[in-house]
Amino acid sequence: MIYPERPTLMRRASRSCVACIGVAASLMVSARTVRGQHAAQDRANAVSASAVRTGAPDTLRQPPILRNLSRKRGTVEVELTASVVRLALKPGAPTEAFAFNGSVPGPTIDVHEGDRVIVHFRNDLPEPTTIHWHGLHIPADMDGSPLAPIAPGARYDYVFTIKRGTAGTYWYHPHPDMRSGYQIAKGLFGAFIVRAADDPLKSVPEKLLILSDNRFRADGTVDFAEPRSSEGMRDEVNGREGDLLFVNGQLAPSLRIRSGQLQRWRVINVAASRVFRLALDNHRLLHVGSDGGLFERPVEVGQIDLANSERVELLVRGTGAPGERALLRAMPYDRYVPQTRPADWQTPRDLLTLAYSPAPRVRATAVPTTLRRIAPLDTLKATATHVIVLSQGLINGRMMDMHRVDEHASLGATEIWQVENLVGMDHPFHLHGFQFQVIDRAGVPEPFPSWKDVVNVRKHEIVRIIVRYDDFPGLWMYHCHILDHEDHGMMGVLEVRSPPPPPRELP
Amino acid sequence: MKSTSSSLVSCSALVVALLMFVSHAASSQTARDTIVLGRQLVIDHACAGCHGGLNPIANVKWLAGRQSPLQDFYIGACTPVAPNAKPCFLTRPRNITPDNATGIGRFSERQIFNALRFGLRPGETPDVTITSMTPGQGNFPANPRYLAPPMPWPEWRYMSDRELWAIAAYLKRGVKPVTNKVEDSEGPPDFWASAYTPAELGPYPMPPFPMASEQEPASK
Repeated sequence: MIYPERPTLMRRASRSCVACIGVAASLMVSARTVRGQHAAQDRANAVSASAVRTGAPDTLRQPPILRNLSRKRGTVEVELTASVVRLALKPGAPTEAFAFNGSVPGPTIDVHEGDRVIVHFRNDLPEPTTIHWHGLHIPADMDGSPLAPIAPGARYDYVFTIKRGTAGTYWYHPHPDMRSGYQIAKGLFGAFIVRAADDPLKSVPEKLLILSDNRFRADGTVDFAEPRSSEGMRDEVNGREGDLLFVNGQLAPSLRIRSGQLQRWRVINVAASRVFRLALDNHRLLHVGSDGGLFERPVEVGQIDLANSERVELLVRGTGAPGERALLRAMPYDRYVPQTRPADWQTPRDLLTLAYSPAPRVRATAVPTTLRRIAPLDTLKATATHVIVLSQGLINGRMMDMHRVDEHASLGATEIWQVENLVGMDHPFHLHGFQFQVIDRAGVPEPFPSWKDVVNVRKHEIVRIIVRYDDFPGLWMYHCHILDHEDHGMMGVLEVRSPPPPPRELP
Repeated sequence: MKSTSSSLVSCSALVVALLMFVSHAASSQTARDTIVLGRQLVIDHACAGCHGGLNPIANVKWLAGRQSPLQDFYIGACTPVAPNAKPCFLTRPRNITPDNATGIGRFSERQIFNALRFGLRPGETPDVTITSMTPGQGNFPANPRYLAPPMPWPEWRYMSDRELWAIAAYLKRGVKPVTNKVEDSEGPPDFWASAYTPAELGPYPMPPFPMASEQEPASK
């Protein structure tokens, strides 16, 4: 969390973003009392509070939970304002930034399946923007795509209902034409958590980790390269990368755990292009969920690749001894073409320290073996295959045209998308509005079904995904989620149409 | 002067486009002849000298690209005996068989034509008829990504459209696909754009004969 040097939105802040001026702890209390229903978070905070006395550092702040203005059950009504603020994106170097409700990351929107969500959005930026609810299965006109920009000074109410079965970790960010990378790098991103009433991990203390990177000029301003410079060309090819790696806007924070404790981490990669290959020293991770929520059962892994805009849910088992330290690191991952591969790409980077409190080990919590049921989408029911060829900056040889529909589909249909990467660098492929399942990657069947909205298509790889357009006709984007590529037109438009009504029977 | 040359360019681009269309249409009628012509050109231009297979064509690695590090090219100040000199870019002969995953199978013949005529990397250039010779003009990409040296496209672009389409047809349709993954060549972040400026490349089409270093043959 980053707090503004001089809050410019005091009035608004006092209503909807206590955190902007406050201390994390008091904020958590207020957010908690308002929602009053996040037992897991409460327990996590209780653990943190007890550890304060015992000395292990716990500096990782959790973004504030956006205050629900509605008293109606099943309704979450919030206010969100994007504005220009002065804050230190780079610690110690306050600068002009963009922020949702004055904080970077923006406040977390925390809802339950079935909730009606009303977001009163105001654009106080000097340029058009949108809010895209990344991964949420909601009507097309609420998707915040580049087709629906919100002018400077304008307001817009995003209203949608969270479908059952969509509990998971999502995020929100601007998606205006050609400016997404710029606005996100300036600070506009936040988490959107959807909870299920029957969440099997409800009792596990929870932490949110928003991973980002950025780079700055000497004066602390966000460094955007000149387009024609060598650095600009590198950004255009690789996507912009920063030399500083952040967790919740903090550099190398620490997170406290007690020996034996089980923690649930929701991890979001909001970086423009960086793939985080996550590894935690001396720990095996339990991978329990992806973009669209929990898996059927936990999978034990040594490391996890998290491409930009992907999310994972992890269970971290406190297998270390009291007082121990373990580093969460971003290990080297080669997503680059050789022409522009950074010289230091093989250097592991530290993200966060997991700090064991000196308190004695607690009895380990049992991890459920079954998390939920995921019905695999049936490839035999697929009625069409879309061949999507990704080349550098292009999809099927074309650049984005907002007035052109590239792919057509019928509401209710199940279809396969065969995404082929022609070039020697990874392109994470994102489909708006619908969660899909991966069938196979480079011919290798996916070992188990999971819900995804982004799939990283590796160098020269063909990935097949299957999607059912069960609801929400309209125009949907699909694109490379490397923001520089997306902004420069590596995007297409899918139209999902309601089928024509059945012919009327003759009298 | 400038306007004359640019109108010359656009005029020649029109002619090029027209020729492309004509030769493209013809190729469908005499596909086999075209492919056999392409084969002759691939052999007599020694494509296999870099891209693998050498003689005989029966070699299973025919045109399948780099097989060993000895086939890498050292571009820049470095050489195989002084590999640490900078700048240094290792470039590698690509697999030019029509294998989908590792070769050129997923590129269209037009993309292969554009590679040979304009030096444009087929995976990173739209599958369109290029209407100009100058970056940023017509639909020639403003930030072109060129094939790595020493691919001699700056010379081969003077080959006729018929010949270039024939090479593309042979590579796409007359060669069996071979799976051989070759890592991308290294290069500067501008993908050689500063090395292949119009000034460096020289005029296209060819300047009229004779130029200063040439002479009309003596008439008998």
